[in-house]
Amino acid sequence: MQPTETFYDVMRRQGITRRSFLKFCSLTATALGLGPAFTSTIANAMETKPRTPVLWLHGLECTCCSESFIRSAHPLVKDVVLSMISLDYDDTLMAAAGHQAEAALEDTIERYKGQYILAVEGNPPLNEDGMFCIVGGKPFVDQLRHAAKHAKAIISWGSCASHGCVQAARPNPTRATPVHQVITDKPIIKVPGCPPIAEVMTGVITYMLTFDRIPELDRTGRPKMFYSQRIHDKCYRRPHFDAGQFVESFDDEGARRGYCLYKVGCKGPTTYNACSTVRWNEGTSFPIQAGHGCIGCSEDGFWDKGSWYARLQDIHQFGIEANADKIGGTVAAGVGGAVALHAAVSALKRAQVKNGNGAGGHGVAKDKESV
Amino acid sequence: MNGESRRIIAGPFNRVEGDLEIRLDIDGGKVTRAEANSPLFRGFERILEGKDPRDAMTIVPRICGICSVSQSVAVARTLAAASGVRPPPNGELAQAVIHAAENIADHLTHFHVFFMADFARPVYEGRIWHEAAVRHFKAERGEAVKAAIQARAELLHIMGLLAGKWPHTLSVQPGGTTRAPDARDRIRLLAIVRRFRQWLEQNLFGDSLDNVAALGSLGDLDVWHRAGDAGFLRLFLTIADDLGLAEMGKGPPRFMSFGAYPRDGAHLLAPGIVEEGRRRPLDTAAITEDLSHSWMLGDTAHPSRGLTVPDEEMAAGYSWCKAPRLSGQTMEVGALARLVVEGRPLAPALLMGGRGNVRARVVARLVEIAISTLALEEWIRAMVPGEPFITPFELPDTVEAEGLTEAARGSLGHWLRIEKGRIASYQIIAPTTWNFSPRDQSGQPGPVEEALMGAPVLPGETTPVSVQHVVRSFDPCMVCTVH
Repeated sequence: MQPTETFYDVMRRQGITRRSFLKFCSLTATALGLGPAFTSTIANAMETKPRTPVLWLHGLECTCCSESFIRSAHPLVKDVVLSMISLDYDDTLMAAAGHQAEAALEDTIERYKGQYILAVEGNPPLNEDGMFCIVGGKPFVDQLRHAAKHAKAIISWGSCASHGCVQAARPNPTRATPVHQVITDKPIIKVPGCPPIAEVMTGVITYMLTFDRIPELDRTGRPKMFYSQRIHDKCYRRPHFDAGQFVESFDDEGARRGYCLYKVGCKGPTTYNACSTVRWNEGTSFPIQAGHGCIGCSEDGFWDKGSWYARLQDIHQFGIEANADKIGGTVAAGVGGAVALHAAVSALKRAQVKNGNGAGGHGVAKDKESV
Repeated sequence: MNGESRRIIAGPFNRVEGDLEIRLDIDGGKVTRAEANSPLFRGFERILEGKDPRDAMTIVPRICGICSVSQSVAVARTLAAASGVRPPPNGELAQAVIHAAENIADHLTHFHVFFMADFARPVYEGRIWHEAAVRHFKAERGEAVKAAIQARAELLHIMGLLAGKWPHTLSVQPGGTTRAPDARDRIRLLAIVRRFRQWLEQNLFGDSLDNVAALGSLGDLDVWHRAGDAGFLRLFLTIADDLGLAEMGKGPPRFMSFGAYPRDGAHLLAPGIVEEGRRRPLDTAAITEDLSHSWMLGDTAHPSRGLTVPDEEMAAGYSWCKAPRLSGQTMEVGALARLVVEGRPLAPALLMGGRGNVRARVVARLVEIAISTLALEEWIRAMVPGEPFITPFELPDTVEAEGLTEAARGSLGHWLRIEKGRIASYQIIAPTTWNFSPRDQSGQPGPVEEALMGAPVLPGETTPVSVQHVVRSFDPCMVCTVH
C-alpha cells in the first residue's frame, strides 16, 4: 500500500501556509454559500481525507474553459485548486511534454483506479471514426473512453462537453457529441457556459474535492448552487423590464440609459446561470452590463435557436417561460398590467420550483422534451 | 558524432493552444525535414453557411478561447465592410483598447507560461542562468508564472468594463461597441493600465516602457542588456546569447501584416509586406489557399472562392490545415512581422540574413507589449464620454466583403459572401494557418517547417528541446489554425 497524501499535505508541500490554508477553507465555505460554520468542516475534511486526483482532458474545443479557469477571482483559491489538478494531467498547463505526458496519464489511471475525477473540456467528434480530433495518434474519443472507465465521476466543463456548443451547430460537420452521450455509466456533472464563469468552475471542483461527493444537481445535471436562477431573475436591468423600458437599437437613448435588452435579443429570461450575480472577470461585469444581450450560452442548443439578435419567441422547452414573449408585448402596451402579469408569473415559477423539488429524475427530464 | 537516422513524432505539444504534432526526420543529429500537423478539425466555415450573417459575431469567436476578441474584431470589420458602416471615433478607440488588451495578455501568457518554462528543464542544469529560470519560470510553480497570471487577470478587468466578459466577448460590433463608458469608467480604465504598466516596468523590463519602446539597434539592445540585471527581458537576452537563439529557427525572409489598431484611417502598426528587406503594399487579391498537402478537397483558390470540404479518406496530405500563400509564397506573420513591416528600428536589426529567428520573435513580442501598453493609455485618454460609441448598420441582401485585422499571433482575415440575406460562404485564414501551414504543390514547406530545418537533436532525445524552442517561438494557436 502506498501512503496516501491528504490535500493538506499537498498544500503544505507546495508552500501554502497553515494560515493561507484556513483562509482558503473560509473562502470556500463562503463561495459555496455554506456559512462560516462550515470552515472547520472543510478544514477537517482536507486534513484527513486522502486527496482525490483529477485528470483534465481536452477534446474538440477552443480552450476557453481553461482560460476562464485560470482567471478565477481569488488567487489563493486558484493556486490551491490548480496545484491539486496539475499534479496529475492537463495538456495545456502541465510541465511534461509529448510521450512523457501520455505516460503520466496512464500512470495516474493505473494508480488511482476508481478514485479519480475526470474533468473534460471539449467533446469527442464521432464522424470519421473520431479522426477530426486526434490526441497522441489516436482519436480523442478513445482517450476519453479509456480515462472514463476507471473514473469516479466526470465533470463536463463548458458547453462543448455538456451540450455540444457551436461546433455542434447544424450541420455539425464532425458530429461533435457531448460527453454524456458517449459515457453513459458514470455520474456526470455538467458545468455549461461558453466558457463557464471561473468562480463557478472553482466552486464546483472545490466542493467535490473537499466533500468527496457530487453537488446537488438540477434535472439537466447542472449543480443547483450555480444554475438554479435565470440571468433575468437577478439582472440589475430587471426594473427596466418591469417598467417596460427597452433598448430598441444599440445606439438609442434607451441603450445610453441602460434599459432592458430583451427586444434586441437578450436570452436572460430563459437562461439559467450565475452571470448576473457572480459576474465575470473577477466580478467586474457581465455581457448585459456591457450593453449586449445574453446569448444563453449555458442552455442546451443555444447555437441553433435562431438569431441572437431576434427577440425571444415561443420558448418551448421551459413551459412557464413560454409567456416571456407575451410579457414583453404586454409591457409595451401598459406598464401596470405588465407588472401584475410578471408578479403572477414569478409566483407560478416559485410554485413550480417547489413542486418539481429540483433534481428530479427522468420524469421531469421527459417533461422537458415533450413540451 | 551522432550519425543515426530516425523519424520521430514530437507531440502532442502541451503548453500550446490546441493540438499539434510535428513529424521530424533526423539525420546526423539535425532535423532534415519537418511536417506540422494540426490534428483537430471542427468545420466552422461549414456551420456558418446558411446562417444570419450577424450570428457570425457569436459563432466565429468561439473558434478560439484565447484570441476570441481578434476573431470578433475580424467579424466586425467584415460586416462593417459589407454594410459600409464606420464606427465613430469613440467606437474605434474602444475596439482598439479591447483588442490590444487581449493581444497584450496573449503575449504575456506566451512568454511566462508557455515559452520560458523550457529553459527550466534539467537538460540546461549548470548553465549560469538555469537557477533563475527554474525559480521564475518552472511550469506551474515558477514565481514569475504566478505573478504574470495575476497581472494578466487584472489587466483583463478592462474586458469586464468595456466588453462584459472574456473570453468570448459580445460587445464588439461592426459600428463600434455596445458599451459606452462614462467619465468614471474612463478613470478606472486608466488606473488599470497604469497599474499594469507599473508591473511591467518592475518585473518584465526593469526599465520604463518608453525606454524599451525606444530601443533602436542591436547596439542599443546590447548596451541596455548590460546596463543591469533587472527584468526578465534581460534574463531572456542572457539565455539567447548563451544558447545562440538568434541562429535558431530561421523562417522565410518574407513578412506580412494586415495592419493593427486602425484609428482615423491610419494604423498604430501599418499593413504591408517586407520581402528580402524590401517593403511593398499589401494586396490581398494575391492570397490563395493550396490544398495539395491538406486532408481537404478542392482546388487552390482565393479565400473568397475557397471551399472547406474535408477529405474523408484522409488520403493525400498530413494535416487538416490549408496552406495559405501570398503570390505563391509563404509569409511569416506575428509581432515580429508587424514591427518589421512598421519599420520599427529594432525589429529589422533582430533578423538574421533577413530571416526571423527564436530571439527576434520573442524580443519583438515583448517590445510590442511596451508599444501597445503605451498606446492603451493614449486611446483611453482620447475617448470622449457622452459622444456615441456605436453606429447602427444594415446588411445588403447580396454582397461580398473582406475583414482584416492583426491577432496577437499575426494576420487574421475573414472573407464573406452574403446571398439572399444569408451567409453563402465564410472563409477564415488565421495567423497560425500561415505560420504552421503544410507544404504546397511546389513542395515549399510552411514557415515553421522551414524554421525547424537544421535544428539540433541530442542522441536519444524524443522531444528535442531545440524543436520546442523553435515551435514555441511562433506562439502557435492551433485551435485557430484549423477551425
